[in-house]
Order: sequence, then structure tokens, then C-alpha cells
Amino acid sequence: MAGRRILIIAGALLILFLCMYSWNQRTRHLDELSADIGLELTGAVLKPLRAIEDTVTDFWKRYFDLVDVRAENTALKARVAELEARLLAHGEDLAELRRLRVLLRLPVDVNWRPLGARVLAGRMGPNAVLDSIVISRGYANGGRPGTPLVTHQGLVGRVLRASAHTATVLLISDPGSRIAVFSQNSRAMGILTGRGTGSTLEVNFVERGSNVAKDEVLITSGLDGKFPKGIPVARVSSVAPSDYTQFLAVEAVPVVDMHHLEEVLLLEPSDATLAPVETAGPPLPVPAGP
Amino acid sequence: MVMAIAVQSCIPGLDVLVLGLIILLQEEDYKNMLWLLPLFIFLQEGMGSRNFGVSIVWYAVVFVLFTLGRWLFEVGNFLFVFLLSTCLGAAYLGVAWLMAPVQNIPFNMQEMLDVSLIQALFLPFAWWLLVMTRRWGSNDTA
Repeated sequence: MAGRRILIIAGALLILFLCMYSWNQRTRHLDELSADIGLELTGAVLKPLRAIEDTVTDFWKRYFDLVDVRAENTALKARVAELEARLLAHGEDLAELRRLRVLLRLPVDVNWRPLGARVLAGRMGPNAVLDSIVISRGYANGGRPGTPLVTHQGLVGRVLRASAHTATVLLISDPGSRIAVFSQNSRAMGILTGRGTGSTLEVNFVERGSNVAKDEVLITSGLDGKFPKGIPVARVSSVAPSDYTQFLAVEAVPVVDMHHLEEVLLLEPSDATLAPVETAGPPLPVPAGP
Repeated sequence: MVMAIAVQSCIPGLDVLVLGLIILLQEEDYKNMLWLLPLFIFLQEGMGSRNFGVSIVWYAVVFVLFTLGRWLFEVGNFLFVFLLSTCLGAAYLGVAWLMAPVQNIPFNMQEMLDVSLIQALFLPFAWWLLVMTRRWGSNDTA
């Protein structure tokens, strides 16, 4: 009798769970609620811990760990001078590019506003099966789902789910990540896919006739509408004709070191500067001169 | 709980909060479990990247295994915790394998084996440490 009662209760609980699971798959209400409670609490706990860690590390670095600081300072000063000179040289090119774009009326991408964020942790807990990190910004301060993340080296990933002040980011190395890219020199298009932590990335659908070379940098094409155009993503590590498909088998390694991320930049689309309005219809005929 | 979140941020895939559930079950503290268990579930689901529901299955498995073990062993014993953690290590792998196709997530057997082994080894050690700390604390106050 008792066994029968246990079976009935277990069956009822299973049906209840399946109903809840299906309802959540459709509405995502429980996912949002768990992000708002769980992720927010996690962020609230980790932020002070990371602040303490930073303070202790800074204290150690500033007052005790001063080995080779003088030599490093001299090298950095020389590097700054070199970069300033380079910046000056490129400044004129940039101004010329802007003038030419206006002149040719090229559609300009929507501006992206960079926002700094701190990496709080890597994958956390038994449910963190995707290649992800936790950052210190949420939907209330710039980390909405879908927002791209970069470092000074290149693309890191995009925000997967967010609470008010904390967010989980899907890295480009995750097998679920898909990014439209093209190679910087040969301009061959492809779709970059992750293959898990520690593995190389795979570039699919690259035409056989394209001249993709080893060590060539892959940049975002912006065609997927998720990432701004021109961000370095990966460097080609091998190119060979595929044995199974009509495309090239291209492998690449990320340009960003995913294991040592500390600070990242979120690229928030800004509505302040919109793309120039293009005139509809054919261009007006140029009036003939006298 | 702060300590558990800090430890979880250092070891990917590890569930430290399950230790709290085991202690609650050992002490039969169902009143505290009533609010702590939903909090554990929301915490794990919130910091994770799977769809909601896996933590419920996982903690249900912990509850069932503990209840089965209670019929056979003395629950405050280290041997019981060691056997339970071994079973939970296997259950961890089983739950991940079961839920991966349901949620359309790739299942990496090698990685999951590593994490479930860490989970199985962590529990007895952490339980022993916690029991010793509490015993030392109670002796100190007496």
C-alpha cells in the first residue's frame, strides 16, 4: 500500500515537473526569474570578493613586488612615444577615410558605445555547461542579452542571459557560437564556430577558390547583424580542402586569450548617431556646364 | 553560502550547495530546507547556462539517494557520506547525460567525467571539514 502511494506521488511530481518544464520552454519566465534571483545574488556576492582581491593584489604590486619596475617603465615610455608617432601618422588617414565615406555616401554602421566590465568568474555551478564567463554588468547598466564583448585584442563573445547588474557571456569558443566572418586580406567569407574549451575554432562554408592563408586574421563581417563589422576574432591556423564537403576546411585560434580575461568592453549600440539617410531612386542628372 | 559561491567560482562545474542540502537532511531540519532549497535551485539555475529545471532533477536525485541510504546506514557516519558522494558522482554524470539532448546541448563525456569525479571527491572532504569546524565551534562555546 505504501509502495503504491509512493509511486502515485512520484508520478504526479514527474507530470508536474514536465508541465513546468514545457511551460518554461515556451515562455522563459522561470529562466528570467532564476537569472534575476540567482545571477543577481551571485554577482552581489562576487563583486565585493573581487574588490577585496583587487585591493590586496594592488597593494602587493605597488608596495612589495617592484622588481624590474624601472626597466619596464623605460621600455613603456619608449613604446608610448612610438605609438604616439604612429597615431599621428594614422590620424590623417582616418580623417581622409571619413571624408571619402561621406563623399561616396557609404552606409555607416550604427555607432557602438564601449562600456567597461569586470570578469567576476568563469563557468559557475553544475548548470554552467556552456563555455561562459560572468561579468559585472546586467541589463540595467549596458549588458543586455546579445550585446557583443571585446578586449583590446579582439572579440570575446556576446551576452547570453542577464540579471539587473550581472550577466553571463557566451564565449566564441562554445560549440553553440556562430559568427559571420571574413578573412582580412583575401576577403573570403565563412561562419566561425566554436568547438569547446581548449580546442581550435572551425570556419565553415569557405569557398574552395578563395585564397585564405595561414596566420591570416579573421574579422567580423557584420552580416549577421549581431556584431559590428571589422573586429578581429581569430587567426587562421590551418587551411586544407575538405574531404567531405565542397568547401575548405579552415581552423583558427582566437586572438583573445580566453583563460586570462579580467576586464572586457561591452559594445552597446548607440542611437545617438544614426547612419546617413540614403536617397531613394537613381541619382539626379548632373546639370550640363555652359 | 558566500563561501559556497566563492568556491564554485573557482572550480567550474562543482556544486558546493549540495553539501548544505545533505547537512539539512542529516539534521532533519525541514523548516529551514523549505526556504533554503528553492534558494539553492534559483542560485544554481541563475548562475548556470542551461534552461530551468535541471537543478530540480539533480536535488531530487540527491533526496532520493539520501532517503534510500537512510534505510541501510547511519546517516551521520563518514562511510555513509563517502558512499553517498560516490553515488552522487555517478548521478551527476547521469543527470548531465539525460538533460543534454533534452536541451539540445553537446555532451562532452570526458569533461563531465572529470567534473563528476571532482564532485564525488569534494563532498566527503568538505563534509568532514564542516563537521569538524562545527564540533570545534561547539566545544569552544562550551
